[in-house]
Amino acid sequence: MRRQLYEWIDKRTKLSKYWDSIAKHPVPPHVSDGVRTNPVYCLGGIAFLCFIILVVTGMFLAMYYKPTPDEAYDSIRYIMEEVPMGAFIRSVHHWAANMMVAAVMLHMIRVYFTGAYKPPRELNWVIGVLLFLLTTAFGFTGYLLPWDQLAYWATTIGIQINSGIPIVGSYIGKLLMGGNEIGPNTLSRFYAIHTIVLPITLTLLLGIHFILVRIHGISGRYL
Amino acid sequence: MRVRGLAFFPNFLLREVVIMFTTAASIFLLASLFPASLLEPANPFETPKPIFPEWYFLYVYGFLKFWTWDIGPLKAKTLGIIISMVLFPLLLFLVPFIDRNPEVNLKRRPIAVLLGVITVAAVLFFTIYGIIFE
Repeated sequence: MRRQLYEWIDKRTKLSKYWDSIAKHPVPPHVSDGVRTNPVYCLGGIAFLCFIILVVTGMFLAMYYKPTPDEAYDSIRYIMEEVPMGAFIRSVHHWAANMMVAAVMLHMIRVYFTGAYKPPRELNWVIGVLLFLLTTAFGFTGYLLPWDQLAYWATTIGIQINSGIPIVGSYIGKLLMGGNEIGPNTLSRFYAIHTIVLPITLTLLLGIHFILVRIHGISGRYL
Repeated sequence: MRVRGLAFFPNFLLREVVIMFTTAASIFLLASLFPASLLEPANPFETPKPIFPEWYFLYVYGFLKFWTWDIGPLKAKTLGIIISMVLFPLLLFLVPFIDRNPEVNLKRRPIAVLLGVITVAAVLFFTIYGIIFE
């Protein structure tokens, strides 16, 4: 029965042809010798796990959240007080987000000090910096959504700083706010950026990031 | 073909899974002990004090408070924003093109290591500066 199922799937996907190159590559001894695994090589994976947790919890939050100034705050309070497990799901989203930023930063520091950005890996470093900036953009847009005092004023400061960039700043500010002040347009576009634009962009870049890691393999010994 | 090292699947993946479960468990534990907060509803007419951005933007926030020097026609605030929001990310993108030394051994790339340590220390310094300087 198992054998038949395997053959049925394999005939249609030819998975066995690709399996070895996907999964059977060796991990070098300085990453894991079979007894001890160097934890600094897990940071990228930890960031990815956080992202998966964020996608799943984000889907649940999106089912209750309402991106308008009149309803946003009350919908979060509803999630926190009425929805079964709502407070827990939102808190997991909150902590996974902080953990993801920390893991991405530490991953970047690891890649820098192990020299893992050197040829032929330059392009993957550039994609990595983009992924880091996208991660912080996730944080920035997500911060406004609860529409409480902290959300509103932290975003005000953030937009002021972005507007201070010479030449393009005032356009960035207008683009972020959807007008000349923080209001309904700002909230709905932050929600769209947070739940549609950034997840699609990040997933595509993450795919390229992983494929390039598979092509290059893990970088050499740093000590 | 004889392979050196541990096979990714299943040997290494098993170790990864252990770390992933530990990570997920810590997130669930933190979420249970310290739930996400919700303050009073947004009020555009009342600025709360103190007001901090998220911790990972504090180094920008701290640097803007730290940099108080005008240079020529450029105002201090504009310069601070150019350095922390434009030049620093640009420098990050360019790392592999600036450092052309092919050596990966830590001991044989002292300048890159020194610059890396200085950068990490500076980000930490300005993060703390952003918190304590009011």
